[in-house]
Amino acid sequence: MENSLYLAWSSESEIQKTASSGGAVTTLLKFALENKLVDAVLAVKKRDNSRFDAVPVLITDPELIRETAGTLHFAPLNMAKFVKDYLDGARDTRIAVTCKPCDARAFIELAKRNQVYRENLFLAGLNCSGTFQPAVADQMIREVYGENPQELAMEEIEGGKLIITLKDGTTKEKDLAELAGQGFEMRENCLRCSCKIPRMADIACGRWGNNGQAATFIEICSPKGHEFVDAAARDGVLVTEAATGKQIEERRQKETEAVEHALAREKRDLDGLHDLSHEERLKYWVGHLNRCIKCFGCRDACPICFCKECYLEPYRDCIAGGETPPNIMFQLVRLSHVADSCVNCGQCQDACPMEIPLTRLYNSLNRELADLFHYIPGVDVDAPPPLTTATDQELSIDAPYIIEEQSSAR
Amino acid sequence: MSNEFDPKILAFLCNWCSYAGADLAGVSRMQYPPNIRVVRFMCTGRIDPLFIIRALTRGVDGVLIGGCHPGECHYGKGNLYTRRRVLMTKRLLECLGIEPERLRLEWVAASEGPKFAQVVKDFTEETKSLGPNPLTTLRREEAVI
Repeated sequence: MENSLYLAWSSESEIQKTASSGGAVTTLLKFALENKLVDAVLAVKKRDNSRFDAVPVLITDPELIRETAGTLHFAPLNMAKFVKDYLDGARDTRIAVTCKPCDARAFIELAKRNQVYRENLFLAGLNCSGTFQPAVADQMIREVYGENPQELAMEEIEGGKLIITLKDGTTKEKDLAELAGQGFEMRENCLRCSCKIPRMADIACGRWGNNGQAATFIEICSPKGHEFVDAAARDGVLVTEAATGKQIEERRQKETEAVEHALAREKRDLDGLHDLSHEERLKYWVGHLNRCIKCFGCRDACPICFCKECYLEPYRDCIAGGETPPNIMFQLVRLSHVADSCVNCGQCQDACPMEIPLTRLYNSLNRELADLFHYIPGVDVDAPPPLTTATDQELSIDAPYIIEEQSSAR
Repeated sequence: MSNEFDPKILAFLCNWCSYAGADLAGVSRMQYPPNIRVVRFMCTGRIDPLFIIRALTRGVDGVLIGGCHPGECHYGKGNLYTRRRVLMTKRLLECLGIEPERLRLEWVAASEGPKFAQVVKDFTEETKSLGPNPLTTLRREEAVI
């Protein structure tokens, strides 16, 4: 228990070859499944061998784990949604899930609301420096890199560059800032995301701090994480080595840099809106929201939305039968319902056929609420959701807009 | 009749305190502006932020919520949840570009008839100074929303 930072890699050469960074995650998942530490593994797989189309797969045969090795930056999914909707929240199966920080945060938020069973989940967190929308990535590979997207074998985001490797082994790299200049940016929520290492998961794995070796830097974040990694190391399938001070420092530096970058971006994007007058801001949002075609795609894609009976459907007596909700109301109802739990995963914006910048709206409210309630969604499983909590201390505060002593609402 | 703007205000009042407070103001023959329309709730804790949003998108100029003083809720903590939700909804309106002052939360006990009359007077004045609900104006201009 004393050291929770390791470098790890697989002792199987087969896995080392197909997986990135030593295949520690793939090995650990395979080991967990073989030794019945979990009943199934939920991971992401390419569909029809395309790096631009990913599907979640539930695996119970250890031999099939290898198919899910490697990271897909061009096909973002949110795993929490699948567990909640299709796997009964892991009620009676122990499932290991690979997750990006936003997936892990969604799991935590859902666990607080009793929608998933956290004790049955093993969250194998993966560090994330951002993802691209598939269509944007496809066009970018064609136009900027001048390559056939189907020839892509691997892509990496490292040191502010997007490095692609083709099936014939050639690599090409471009600066992310330069790509942005040509109109090819990451998903906008990723650019603003300051959660790069998923410490709310059981383990957080990534390349940062591996010194360019074929190894994965693992930070163990929970007793369950210790149990899994220790068992795999004892068995010999996973080779672990305590991380050195230099490696830890390198990782810390890279994280700080990425977080600063994200915060600067968030400031830039949201302050612009914040500085507008009420009238201008309302025009901006009404203009966007008026384009909504009520496809309900955002609601269906949202990992947090979990009401079985939605207010936006006619049978709740809020909307008349045969009618769609008024434009502005549609988004505002969604916004108010997920206000305290939005994890900035960007699924709503990805799903939107009208390209409404929804994450910008959710982000601005999120930022406001973070300092109002001192609460960041999806970080601490024991922190109660602020809108369904009230402390005894609040019983003795009479002012209508104050929930804490010594602070005043603005 | 003058052309002065006459705001429409929707009031959500709790059955045990504010509604009784409004009753007391009435039977005591206190004068207050006739701009409010009252909806009675068993507890302000029943108020989903969606009700506020729905009222505003349907064109009311202000929403007043009246509940029991903290510690006096008939159900324990219903009004404390409301306080948090109102704080959130105010920020939400701000983010969208609607003046958060259009939403007001007040505690009015059953014995506070004069306070109820005063709150309605103040809020009507404030809404008047804010002008018509911008969503209504936009709808008229653009024939959509």
